Amino acid sequence: MRTSIGAVVEGGTSLNYKTGNWREFRPVFVAGIAPCREACPAGIDIARFIREAKSQQFDRAWHTIMEENPLPSICGRVCAHPCEEACNRKEFDEPLAINSLERFVGDHGLKNAMMVATPKAERRERVAVVGSGPAGLSCAYHLRKLGYGVEVLERSPSAGGMLRWGIPEYRLPGTILDGEIERLRTMGIGIKTRVSLGKEFLTEGLKDFRAIFLALGAQRELGLGIPGENSPGVVSGLDFLRGVNEGRPAALGKRVVVIGGGNTAIDVARTALRFESRLTLIYRRTRQEMPAIPGEVEEAKKEGVGIEFLTSPVGITARKGQGLRLECMRNRMGKPGPDGRRRPVPIEGSNFSIESDTIVVAVGAAGDPQGLAESLQWIEAGIAVDEWGFTGLPGIFAGGDLTPGPRTVSHAIGSGKKAALAIDAFINGWDKDLAKSVFLGNRGSLSMEDWVNPPPTARRSDRVVGYEDLNRLYFGPSPREGMPQIPDEARRIASFDEVNLGFPGEIAIQEAERCFGCGTCSLCENCYTFCPDSSVWRKDPHETFEIDYEFCKGCGICAHECPSRFIEMVREEK
Amino acid sequence: MVPRKDEQELFAPGHRACPGCGEAIATRWILKATGANVIIVSPTGCLETFSSPYMFSPWRVPWVHPLFENGAAVASGIEAALRYKGRSDIRVVVIGGDGATFDIGMGGLSGMFERGHPVPYICYDNEAYMNTGVQRCSSTPLFASTTTQPAGRKSWGKDRPKKNMPAIAMAHDIDYVATASVSYPKDLHDKVEKALTMEGPSYIQVHTPCCTGWGFPPEKTIEIGRLAVNTGLAPLFEMEAGEVTSVHRIGERVPVEEYLMAQSRFKHLMGSEEGRREVEKIQRVADQNIERMGLL
Amino acid sequence: MEKVEILEGSMAVALAVKACKPGVISAYPISPQTHIVEVLAKMVADGELNSQYVLSDSEFSAASIVYGASAAGVRSYTASSSQGLLLMTEVIYNAAGTRLPMVLTGVNRALSAPISIQVDHQDTLSLRDSGLIQFYVESAQEAYDMHIQAFRIAEDPDILLPVMICMDGWVLTHSYEPVELIGQKAIDAFLPPYRPVHCLDPEHPLTFGSYAEDDVLMELKYMIQGAMEKAKVKIEEIASDFHRITGHPGATLVEAYETEKAEVILIGMGSLVGTMKEAIDAMRSDGISVGLMKVCSHRPFPAEAILDCCQKAQAIAVLDRGFSMGSEGPLSLDVKAALSNLERPRIFSFIAGLAGREITTETIRKITMETMKAAKSRRVVRGSQWVDLNRSIL
Repeated sequence: MRTSIGAVVEGGTSLNYKTGNWREFRPVFVAGIAPCREACPAGIDIARFIREAKSQQFDRAWHTIMEENPLPSICGRVCAHPCEEACNRKEFDEPLAINSLERFVGDHGLKNAMMVATPKAERRERVAVVGSGPAGLSCAYHLRKLGYGVEVLERSPSAGGMLRWGIPEYRLPGTILDGEIERLRTMGIGIKTRVSLGKEFLTEGLKDFRAIFLALGAQRELGLGIPGENSPGVVSGLDFLRGVNEGRPAALGKRVVVIGGGNTAIDVARTALRFESRLTLIYRRTRQEMPAIPGEVEEAKKEGVGIEFLTSPVGITARKGQGLRLECMRNRMGKPGPDGRRRPVPIEGSNFSIESDTIVVAVGAAGDPQGLAESLQWIEAGIAVDEWGFTGLPGIFAGGDLTPGPRTVSHAIGSGKKAALAIDAFINGWDKDLAKSVFLGNRGSLSMEDWVNPPPTARRSDRVVGYEDLNRLYFGPSPREGMPQIPDEARRIASFDEVNLGFPGEIAIQEAERCFGCGTCSLCENCYTFCPDSSVWRKDPHETFEIDYEFCKGCGICAHECPSRFIEMVREEK
Repeated sequence: MVPRKDEQELFAPGHRACPGCGEAIATRWILKATGANVIIVSPTGCLETFSSPYMFSPWRVPWVHPLFENGAAVASGIEAALRYKGRSDIRVVVIGGDGATFDIGMGGLSGMFERGHPVPYICYDNEAYMNTGVQRCSSTPLFASTTTQPAGRKSWGKDRPKKNMPAIAMAHDIDYVATASVSYPKDLHDKVEKALTMEGPSYIQVHTPCCTGWGFPPEKTIEIGRLAVNTGLAPLFEMEAGEVTSVHRIGERVPVEEYLMAQSRFKHLMGSEEGRREVEKIQRVADQNIERMGLL
Repeated sequence: MEKVEILEGSMAVALAVKACKPGVISAYPISPQTHIVEVLAKMVADGELNSQYVLSDSEFSAASIVYGASAAGVRSYTASSSQGLLLMTEVIYNAAGTRLPMVLTGVNRALSAPISIQVDHQDTLSLRDSGLIQFYVESAQEAYDMHIQAFRIAEDPDILLPVMICMDGWVLTHSYEPVELIGQKAIDAFLPPYRPVHCLDPEHPLTFGSYAEDDVLMELKYMIQGAMEKAKVKIEEIASDFHRITGHPGATLVEAYETEKAEVILIGMGSLVGTMKEAIDAMRSDGISVGLMKVCSHRPFPAEAILDCCQKAQAIAVLDRGFSMGSEGPLSLDVKAALSNLERPRIFSFIAGLAGREITTETIRKITMETMKAAKSRRVVRGSQWVDLNRSIL
């Protein structure tokens, strides 16, 4: 009926007039790549897990991390967090405490004995993973999730690799490590310890397994190349840490010198403190060049480690009954060398010596070319592999510290995941285009989730969201939350109790609120708030929004006001 | 405050507002503050025209468009009727444009204020008679070009300052007067909620940029509104009993030129020495607002 | 038997309005309406009348307040005169278009300029196109009876239009006449509480005042005319109900007085009809064949009744107390339209009594004689004749 008394109209009848056909451009939620995710070697969807943590969906946040990284409680304690260096918030005030948030969510998973879903379909093929460090565990996990039978073969009495032997308890408690490994067992990954393998395994093993992933690590400590380095009382850093973890720490004596600037050197120094030694650490370059995680160096200094920078060891003399004398020279920083780093140049006549009971050498490690890996192609930095970890020998893949690349836990996890994908492709046939599309930006990280569930291309862009892409007017300054620690340093070094205590829930949520959500939704609700046509809606308060294209007029306000660069205006096809 | 599609939005989609319309955004947030137990009165204007084509109404609350000059008077009658019925729980709110409020309806508004009806009168101010084609109104700011007072060889556009309606409202000794901006919708929402707690009338003036009439691309509506606030030309404040009780402090102050050059209605001021002198006058208006109201 | 009281006309109106229990009354003072609204105000102040009495800032606002109250589903009332009615015009058109019942008293007074507070019909005549139902009353009794029926006419679901009772300023409002009042019980029986067909109610959100395009606007306006046509029938029904319950004569669209076989029929509205009746009585006793059609309802215009009664007369003299500048007396235009397309009597238009100028029985007799003479001659008479015009001061 087109006429009504007094032209009075029922309310809400405008729903019959579809203003969507006014549009020339339509807003589309297109996920960009957050720089933190690009920088994360494990490829975790950081912005998403933080958003889920922000709205207290801790279970969902955990599952988000587990899509890419099976060891969040471990990484949340020991990772060098390159994500925080890349974080766009760094330019605004302070980067997000991503690492601590990963720990929070990982611990939530452990506390609640959470499990990932079982694989959709079990596959007949089996894969062997040699080595149970982070690379091996990650590869095993991803293959198992894809449905393969996986067997992890470990030489030592317990699993964990460097995580177990190389990182002290006050940084990574054994219970946490055990918890994350146990979860893998529960998934159906077989982990066998005390298994010795020779190089014939690389051919014989392929009778039982369709592919083999080598994750042997780099446990051969490099030497100093100075006279006297084989004197008694000179120990390798990795051996020392391993001894501590096995319950048979080397006796250090009161005076200890640690030589080196990496994480192992720092771990050795802080561990020695806990055995009540007085500590000096010498490093040949300056603090800026130290490869160790800066936060770890800071902790060492707080606990009382004295550090001598620009100091190189020249020679060691054992003096009967009086311990060791370490002769050193001072350096100055000279021109950069072939690796781009500035080289230390000794200063003539600057020699001096330090008296010590023990000297611990922790200047780097390399893979062991003997045994299982003997027949592989070795280059200076490790076993030669292609970008996917393929060694060239049929069915044989390698990753982690055994291969060239940064020697970090997260890089190992990333390489294990990459190899798992390559093995899956190898077994099933290679989808080159899909393989290309799972890379996240330009720093080598990839998404396993994208491999398993390819997202619609219209909703994902390869663009890495930079600081200038964000509409920063919607962010106010707020300080980064600090990690609670055992309150006083003296108490810390009196035991091997974990120094960092972890965020309580409210602090985690507060820190999560600081995330800009680069390239994804940060739940700011701007699009919903500013839509003139009531055309932005969502199913429930924890979900991200959707556009009602029946009515959206394409004004573009949502895209313009989105702080996170999550909305693109795309021309309508007529 | 999270809808399932259009379910809880009291201002449904399908209305005929220009894409990017500031008033539509403001109306959504006003209705979130009033809730459904309300009767809205809108005098003739953009909002009324785009929201009431015959048989297509987005209003999920009772709504009446009477005439141009009697929004406040009709609201007074509705309020009296509800009081008679013992249903003063149902609130009456006027949402009207600057033309209807500053000019033709000012007498009726004054009457409503003087009689003390508990009616929030919300004026969406897009600074001209936009509905009829961008004609000059007493709400038009200094030197803006409109179709009935355009800039030309012998004219800089509007030659009189913007009428100070909040002051006029406050001079009636009403309970609550506030200014708001569509770029700060939660603030607008809270002010409407506050107005509804008052026993007598209140007046809220909402600065709503108009992409069609001011000349800027529609996606910038919120950005332009923010610029207006941050120059000091659109101060946000609250007054009760004749005293200013709160102001929105400007974070980073913006020179008026940045705001003016983003809109074609001021483009005649750009690019000449004389134009720059006129811009200085506008800057003085902003400076005075900032000083008088303590906006920094 | 009900009480008969000697009441000022304004008081009679106020008593009628009070008995109808309006929820909202709004008024702005203008002579000669003031006594009506003052009496009502006192009733409210003394607690005798439970209405929301809203004192407005102008007639425009007063009408708007009543419009709003009616839209909210409450019975409402206002009154005005002259300039005030002009100021209400926009709202009255708006109420008619939105089909909202309202009752107004139009106290007839001349329009500026020049300003005058004396009676003529120019003010209410200028509202005749708006969709407002208009009755012109002859006496205080009729004013009383008509106001009561006005509410029921306005609120009738088949009508739903504003209704105005026009009464001559000063002559009826400020003079005293005997008025028989009706008991509250009878009024309550005749006039139940208002049940709106549509109103502003959060329980059922409706949109009032839409913008209509050309594909539907003519039809919506046509519906108003339809309501006016229906009103002619409904008014009679309501009137007979009124008579049945109260015993008082109900509203009529017209009143025929001595028109049987009359050669000349005079037509007029308002209080001057009383004078006309007296003049007719005198002329008839002198053997002049003259009768009177009193038009009670000017809108809807009772064309059929006029046609019925007048088509056998020789001549018709229409007395207008207002004028449509550039044309003729408005009432005479309506009468000529009613009687067009027919073999019909000749119609002569007279303008009299503007701005309170006295209309005496002499004037009526003069008009009648002039009409008879003009009817007999074949002379073409165009336009209106302004009666008792003082040409010496022109």
